Amino acid sequence: MGALIKWMQRYEGWFGAVGGVCIFAGLYLGLAASPPDYYQGEVVRIMYVHVPIVQTAMLAYSVLFAGSIWYLWKRDPIVDNLCQAAAGISAYLTAGGLITGSIWAKPTWNTWWTWDARLVSFAVMLLILIGYLMLRTFIDDPEREARFAAVLAIVGFVDLPIVHFSVEWWRTLHQPLSISMRGIAMSGDMLRPLIVMSVGFWVLFVYMLMVRTQMLYLTDLLRAKKGRLLSHAHLSDLPT
Amino acid sequence: MPFFNVIRWVAWKDLISEVRSRETLSSMFFFALIVILVFSFSFSMDQQAARELIAGIMWVAFAFTGIIGLGKSFAAELQNDCLEHLQISPGSKGAIYLGKLLANVVFMLTVEVILFPMFVIFFNLDVVDALPLLLLVFALATLGLSTVGTLFSAMTVQVRAREVMLPILLLPLAVPVMIAAVEATRGALNGDPLALYANWLQLLAVFDVVFSVLSFWAFEWILDG
Repeated sequence: MGALIKWMQRYEGWFGAVGGVCIFAGLYLGLAASPPDYYQGEVVRIMYVHVPIVQTAMLAYSVLFAGSIWYLWKRDPIVDNLCQAAAGISAYLTAGGLITGSIWAKPTWNTWWTWDARLVSFAVMLLILIGYLMLRTFIDDPEREARFAAVLAIVGFVDLPIVHFSVEWWRTLHQPLSISMRGIAMSGDMLRPLIVMSVGFWVLFVYMLMVRTQMLYLTDLLRAKKGRLLSHAHLSDLPT
Repeated sequence: MPFFNVIRWVAWKDLISEVRSRETLSSMFFFALIVILVFSFSFSMDQQAARELIAGIMWVAFAFTGIIGLGKSFAAELQNDCLEHLQISPGSKGAIYLGKLLANVVFMLTVEVILFPMFVIFFNLDVVDALPLLLLVFALATLGLSTVGTLFSAMTVQVRAREVMLPILLLPLAVPVMIAAVEATRGALNGDPLALYANWLQLLAVFDVVFSVLSFWAFEWILDG
């Protein structure tokens, strides 16, 4: 599995570059080249940041879910590093999604927050992720930490379909899905920058995941090395 | 050991030790009583307001009380290395989970059945017609809270800061169960036609099935290692 780390070291730069280029292009297309919305005017431009952030947060949780199953199956510590990295990134993106959504809600709904099913279920996702990260800090044994965290991530995944379908199940303030099985309810001028931004955020997420996984892997390696040095020192002190 | 015998013995062990010590039920009961009193001080309610708020108050009291019971469920196993003995016992781990779950559901339902008449008296509720439906809601929601709660109780008892971690992990996941329970209870108390809140009952049933299957399957990794 060291191959995974090697692969990450080799290709992470490419992902960072592609993600960066896509996001800069998307920002230009979304903020300068696309027309303002008929109803919302210039306010709609926050969509080009809000929607990709939320999508990527949910993508990150899905990676955490898949990684957790993979970990319980194979018990590979590097997969656990990957899960921990995905959870941290997902928590930041979820908080970002809530904040940008709130900024968008103030001019359009005339309120920062409303107890709408989509908003509540998304906020619950943040709480689950914070609980996940907290749980990890409270366990001393690394193997048990990885195992318990994986179980929590899998059980918590139940929230994700609720987030996704909440706007269909409960018709409240939040608008229903613009891109779904029924087709696309959005003009091409607005769809193009949104797609470029989304792709940019997904690729950037993969880049962040690669960097963070390596950091966590190196931290574990350092701990193991320290343990080995301590053990050598201890053994050489023993009377022969 | 056969599967169903393990379930029966684990549940029986918990119930019999509770009958002898009366530790869990009495602490759950008095805590819930205090919650009811605090709520009745905090909101000076007339009949109309009570009708609107009572379902929420009831489920806050039941959920917090449930957390006390769930927290004690595995904490008792820490003494005399009982957790290790459960881990090395030859029976199926899933059966141990189901036994614990059964005991927890019995504890929570007992407290709810004792407390509910107090709500009726303190808040002047008219409940005779709604009683069968309310009992169904209580049973479904209690099962929903206990399935994840039992799993997380076994998990948090093995970590530091266990008293804090159980509610932090359990409550966000229990949000759908809580919302559905409150809406269904409100519908039943108001005497609405069943069709208006049947969706919430369905949601409760779906969550019960999903969480039971997930927790039953995941318990092996919590206890086994």
